[in-house]
Amino acid sequence: MISPETLVFGVLAALGLISMVATFMAVMERDLLKAVLFSAVQSTAYAFMFYILMAPDILLVYVPVAVGLYPAVILFLIKKTERFEGGEEE
Amino acid sequence: MRRAYKYAVLAAMIVSTLALALAVSAGGLGYALPFPAVRNLAYWYLKTTYNPFMPKFTVSAPEAVTAIVWDYRGLDTLFETSVFFLAIIASMALMRGIDIRVPESMNLSKYGMSAIVKTVTKITVAIILAASASIALHGQLTPGGGFQGGATAAVAPLVIIVIFSLYFAVGSGIRKKSMLTLRTLGLLGIGVTSFAVIVAGLILGKAAYVFQNQPKEAAPIGLPSHILGVPMGGTLLLFNIFEFLAVAAGFTIVFLLLSVPEESVRKVLEGGEEHD
Repeated sequence: MISPETLVFGVLAALGLISMVATFMAVMERDLLKAVLFSAVQSTAYAFMFYILMAPDILLVYVPVAVGLYPAVILFLIKKTERFEGGEEE
Repeated sequence: MRRAYKYAVLAAMIVSTLALALAVSAGGLGYALPFPAVRNLAYWYLKTTYNPFMPKFTVSAPEAVTAIVWDYRGLDTLFETSVFFLAIIASMALMRGIDIRVPESMNLSKYGMSAIVKTVTKITVAIILAASASIALHGQLTPGGGFQGGATAAVAPLVIIVIFSLYFAVGSGIRKKSMLTLRTLGLLGIGVTSFAVIVAGLILGKAAYVFQNQPKEAAPIGLPSHILGVPMGGTLLLFNIFEFLAVAAGFTIVFLLLSVPEESVRKVLEGGEEHD
């Protein structure tokens, strides 16, 4: 039988893994638009983690900044520069 | 080859993260609580944040985080706000000389996305603004506060700029100058609030501190702790309102400047200082 505590920590671990994979994809992605989306996935996982860790104050500032304002700034910058990251190979 | 390498790195990261999590949950860092000194501090905050039986020590706001941010360590937050203000000023200085003006012959309804998206956005913007106001104004009662509410409110002009076009936003009053006025008003309000009690003390002939909220032992004066029976936390409510204005307007200025079409302002951005 799984105790509630184990369940909560299991959900936390799963969210942490999701955020880590999303961060990795965001770093490796050449298409910066997709990288922003991966970054937003990471932010969403973090938002749930803040909620589970009982930090609603951080959550309330994290949701608008990390899911709304920060991707918007990056998207504006991508629009002003280039969508694809230049590389020496391929 | 490259792809295989990528997945190998990812797998290694996942395995090491899981191993670390397992080690920590198995007691790798020990099960000990934090140091007693730290626990005493937390105990003191929780005991005094809302405690009518200790009127010389309480902040009289049930929300401990807002109480810490704007009362126990209010000066820190004041300087944080100043840093944010300076960052906005610096970005405005970088993009100085840009005048966002709506062309006379422009038919605004032709710009932006379709009518469906616009209608949905109108509803959503109202919801965003209501939620942000509730976050900011209930900051002394429930989780949230000025910065949280302001950051949420800043999403509304951003959505308007993206969906309706920049010129619609400028035409409907979201201008650089008016936003800067709001922002300065917010910072001025924060400054006035931090000196409010000491000025009242000077007038009433009582001792008071800068940044004082509730009456203290040697300074028996403070802002009202309850309004209509609801705990208001004295200065916390005012600080939250002004911080809300300052943050929302500051973010809006940045988005207005970022969303200006580059072709129209390239001359301003490229040109250096003018010489005679």
